[in-house]
This record gives sequence, structure tokens and C-alpha cells, in this order.
Amino acid sequence: MNENYINVVLADDDEDDRLFFSEAFDELKIKTRVSTFNDGVYLMDYFNSEDAILPQVLFLDLNMPRKSGLECLKELRADEKFNDVAIAIYSTSSSEEDVENTFVLGANIYIKKPSDFKSLKKVLSDVVTLNWQYHTNGLNKDNFLLRL
Amino acid sequence: MITRIKKKSPLFIKISFYLALLIIVVAGATAFKTTKNLSKSSELVVETYMVNVQLEQIFSYLKDAETGQRGFIITNDSLYLDPYVNSRESINNSFAELKELTKENDFQQNKLKDLSSLIDKRLNNFERSSSFSVNDNLESPKFDPVFFEGKELMDAIRSKISEMTEHERVELLRRQEDYQTDVLLTPIFLFFLILLSIALVLLAYYKITKDIDSLKSYNEELETFKESANQSEIISKHGNWIWDIEEETYIYSDNLYRLLGEQPQSFKPNLDTFMEYVHPDDREKLEKDVAAMMENEHLPFVHYRVIQKSGNIKRFKSYAQVLEIDGIRKLIGTTSDVTDEFESFRLLEERNVELERNNKELSAFNHVASHDLQEPLRKIQTFLSRLVDKESENLSKNGLVYVSRIQNAASRMRLLIDDLLQFSRTNKSEKVFETANINLILEGAKQDLAEAISDSNALITSDTFPVMYVIPFQIQQLFSNLISNSIKYQKEDATPEISIQYSRINAIEDDKLIKPKKEHYHKLTFTDNGIGFKNEYAEKIFVLFNRLHGKSEFSGTGIGLSICKKIVENHKGYIFANGTPDKGAIFEVYLPI
Repeated sequence: MNENYINVVLADDDEDDRLFFSEAFDELKIKTRVSTFNDGVYLMDYFNSEDAILPQVLFLDLNMPRKSGLECLKELRADEKFNDVAIAIYSTSSSEEDVENTFVLGANIYIKKPSDFKSLKKVLSDVVTLNWQYHTNGLNKDNFLLRL
Repeated sequence: MITRIKKKSPLFIKISFYLALLIIVVAGATAFKTTKNLSKSSELVVETYMVNVQLEQIFSYLKDAETGQRGFIITNDSLYLDPYVNSRESINNSFAELKELTKENDFQQNKLKDLSSLIDKRLNNFERSSSFSVNDNLESPKFDPVFFEGKELMDAIRSKISEMTEHERVELLRRQEDYQTDVLLTPIFLFFLILLSIALVLLAYYKITKDIDSLKSYNEELETFKESANQSEIISKHGNWIWDIEEETYIYSDNLYRLLGEQPQSFKPNLDTFMEYVHPDDREKLEKDVAAMMENEHLPFVHYRVIQKSGNIKRFKSYAQVLEIDGIRKLIGTTSDVTDEFESFRLLEERNVELERNNKELSAFNHVASHDLQEPLRKIQTFLSRLVDKESENLSKNGLVYVSRIQNAASRMRLLIDDLLQFSRTNKSEKVFETANINLILEGAKQDLAEAISDSNALITSDTFPVMYVIPFQIQQLFSNLISNSIKYQKEDATPEISIQYSRINAIEDDKLIKPKKEHYHKLTFTDNGIGFKNEYAEKIFVLFNRLHGKSEFSGTGIGLSICKKIVENHKGYIFANGTPDKGAIFEVYLPI
């Protein structure tokens, strides 16, 4: 039964963003299971726990208390067992520095949080239905940042 | 040039001196030789006379003998025979004398031999003819031939003697001629030699005087130069010193004393007296540096502090080099008071630190603007979109109007934040210039604006551009800002037409370029058919936050053209705007080649 669902995880300290995120998936006609974590520590604790269900796509906010998205990204990419998890950076800023850093550290795509709910739904549906294998093979700095 | 003259002159003087000396020696030798010749030739004259006298004497002895013999023959008195008896001895003496006198003359020696045999014959003849007289046979027929033979012999002797005398006369004449030439030529020769040496001495004297004159003028120049060096030392706050390493003597220039806060030449300069002025903390290091100077010949600058008697602390910088002048090792140094420089450098560093701090604050602000300001705004917008989507039925007509007003304000705020960010990014220090294909950059800019272009049906025509040395992403920004500007400020119901022309221009031929730094520029001309503007605003439109139109007419933040100007300035280029209301605007961009 699990195979029919796409498991999606979001780590974001912002309550509103978690709400938008969940609502967007609720309205999308894609079968997804969405779980959200309030910061990097909660996320990593879950990922490292034994009964963790690893998601197909992890949405990672960069600016979080206790453990930032960047730190999570480093830890995840240092561990082979998370190789199959596509990591989408999900951030307010799209500063060149952040884009460059996360690209180098092995994130798969960079999403700038849209300021419009319709756009948000479109972006999330695009990312979730993306052919990761195809995307990752042709990944470069230019298509890393998802343009709306 | 000075050194050349100095080297050439002494050589010339030396040569003329030695030449004059040589001439004098030659003259002396010539005079000596001539004098010697002269005395020799007078000796020879005397010799000739002596030979003549002796010959005369021999002949006169013979004559005496002949006369005596005749007397004896006539009188038969033997008393008459005395001269004959004496003549033998006298003749022999004279002969010996003659032999000695003519020993170097073969001709005369031969003649002398002939003469000797003739005389012998004559004397024999005397003997025989006398014997006739003694025996009283004078009447004998044999006596006449003997007597006659005596006469003939006597003639032969006379002729021989006159031959010899003639030879001597000729010899004498020849010698006298030689002597005459010598006597005539030697003084002329000597006179010329002396004239020549006088000329040489005069020339040398002239040369020396001239050298002294030029030396004097060099001295004057040197004096002037010294004075101007003094002045330059005062104005540039430095002093010179020379340290004779072997003699352990020091020379300080006047200004070095002044730098130490003392009257010029007011104390005896040496290392110890100087060290007294040096800041106690710097003394040890300076001593080390000075020791190193002696070994390494020349060193990097040495920095230290000195304390003047008035208590002022000054910072000095010294440089010295060991020079060997005529085998004497000297340390030649310059010391400069760099207190002011040091102070201004310190001030500059402080400012730099401050500037750096400001920059950091600015980039922190950037981050706040990019992230923290955007976040609440984004939420406002998202919630608004949720409100419109889900709750619009529940809102009154007025409520919907308010919501749409809020949406407008929020979009405007987003635009402002985005533009501000872009402006500050344009300011960033990382400016990587590279040779870029401008045609591709234009395509990129068109893609950025694809939506606006297709919405407005804008027609963009452009020349083909050569490659340029630019910061590519900034030039793309410039293109897209200018094009979007043209599209934005469009007349109602008109299709935007934008043309971008290229030309390569010579800086001197373009009146607009004030003090251009390069000779040639790329000129890009953006022409549109939009609403244009009054030319009096041509400069104002580039000022940050400056807008020519109300917000409701045209959306805009007043940042776009400021960014354009910033970008062009980053490229050390120029941007000019030119507008005609209701006709359009022209933007000219000059980028250095």
C-alpha cells in the first residue's frame, strides 16, 4: 500500500510555512504522505531512528534553530543510507551563496518559497512528480535553482 | 659629461708635458752633438795646418841642405855642410810628426811614403855630388848628370809636397763646408724645437686654465645643487649621512640635525650620539640593523623612533648602502621623518577598519532584506491568495477591494525589496571580467523578459555585437533593465519597438565623453518609441528612487536605471539618456574597449 503513496518530509521551523505546505498537498491530487518536523534536530532524530520511513523527497528549510538545513544536508549526504532521498532546499532566500553552497553539498534542487499559493502548489507538484534519476544526471548549477 | 672632461684633460696635459720634455731632451742631445762636431772639425783644421807646416818645413830643410851643399861645392868649405848634416835629423822628426798627423788618411800616407823615398834619393844625391866636390872632380863629366838629377829630384819633391798640400787644402775645404752647414742648421733646428716646446707648454697652460674655469663653473653648479638638495631635504623631511667605515668618521647633513630637533652641526656626529636620540625600545633593533647594513651592502628600509629633546616622538625610516670610493668603504644613507606618513597611514587603517565594519553591516542588512523582510511579506501574500481563493464569497464588495489594494501594496513592496537587493548586489566587490559574447547576453536578457515581451508584443531589433570584456551577469542585467524600461514606459495602444545599435567610436571624436580614460569605446544605443521624457530630467532619472511618473500610472521603484548607471560605472563606461516626450527615449551606453 505504501508504494502508491509518495512520502514527503518537510523540516521547517516556521509554523505558517508548514501549514501552507500541508494544505498545498491536501489540495493536490497526488497521493502523498506528508510529515513535518519543527527543526533539524527533530528531523535527524527521526531519520536516524530504526523505524524511520525514508521519504522520496525531503524539503529542507535552511534557516532553522538548533540545527540548520545546511548542517542536516551535510549529515545526510555523508551517510550512504540516505542516498535515495532527493533533497529539495526550500528557502525564502535565493542568495547566490546559499544556492552555491547547497549545490556543492549535494542537494538535488533549490526552491525559493513562492509568495502565492497557486505557485506553491505548482512547484510542489512539479518537484514531487519529478523524474529524479533524469534530473540528477543532468544536474548543473543552471537547472539546480527551480525557476517558476 | 663632467666626468668625461675631467678624464680627458689630464691626459692631454700629460701628453703635452711629456712631449715638451722629449723635445727638450732631443734639443739638448742635438746641441751636444753639434758642439762635439764643432770641436772635432776645429781639431781637424788645426791638423791640416800642422801637416802643411811640417811639409813646408821638410821642404825648407831640404832647401837649406841644397844651399849648404852648393856653398860647399863652390867654396869647398865644410862649414857649409852643417845644414845638410842637421837636415837629416830635422827631416826625420818632421816625418815622424807627419806620419802621426796623417795616420787616418790613407791617401796622405801613400804620398808620404813616396815623399820619403824621394827625400832619401835626394839625400843620397847630396852625398854623391858632395863626394865630387871633396875629390875635386867637379870638372868630371860624371858630376853634371848627378847635379842635374839633384835638381830633378828637388822638383819631384816640390811637386809631391804641393800635391799633398793641395790634398790637405781640399780636405780642409770639405770639412769647412760640413762645419758651415752644421753651424748654420743646428741653431735653426734648435730654435724650432724650442718654439715647439713653448707652443706645447702654452697649449697645456691654456687647457689647464680652461679646465680650471669649467671646474669653477661645476663647483658653482655643485654649490647650487647642494643648496637645492638642502631645501628638498627640508621640504621632504629627510637628511643624509655618510659614515666612513675605516676612519670611523661621520658627516650629517644640516637637515638631519633638524630632524633630531637640533641646530645644524651643533654636535659631533657619531653612532653613540645618534643612539642617544633613538627610542630605548628601538635601540637594540637599530644596532642590529646597522650591523646588518655593513654585511649585506644594502638593506630594506629600517624603521625606528627617536625622541627629540623636547620630548616629541618621531618615526624615522632609513636606508643605506655601502659604497667603495677610491678603495674607501663608506656607508651612505638617507634618513626620513615619516611621522606624518605613519600617522596618516594609521588614520587610513582606522578608516579601513571602519569601512570594513560598515561593509559588514551593509551585507548583514542585505541578508535581512533578502531573507527576513521577504519572509513576512511572502506570508502576507500567500495568506492573501488563500483569502481570495477560499473566502471571497464571504467578503463584501468593499472587502474585496481592500484585499486587492493590500495585494497591490504587497507586490510593490516585493518589487522594492527585489530591486534593492539587486542594486546592492551590483555594488558587490566580486567583479569578474571576462571576454563575453554580447549577442548571447542579449538573448539571455530577452529570456528573462520573455513574458513581458510576449505580453506587449514588443519588437526588438539589434545589430550584431562583437565580443566585449565585461562582467557578463551585470551586462545582462543592464540589457534587461533597459529593455523592460522601454516596454514599461510604453504609449497606450502602441506596440513597443526597441532597437539596439552598435558602433565602435573614437573617444576624442565624441563630445559627450568628458575626460575619457580609453581611446576607443563600444557604443550601444537603445532607442524606443515609448512615452519619452523631458530632456531636463535626462540626468535625474539615474538617481536612486527617482521617478518621473505617479505610481498608479507606471509601476516602478526608481531603482532600475540607478542599477544601470552603477553597472556602467563598474565597467568604467558612460550612460546617457535622451528623451523626447511622446516620441521615445534613447539610452546610450559606452563601454571601454
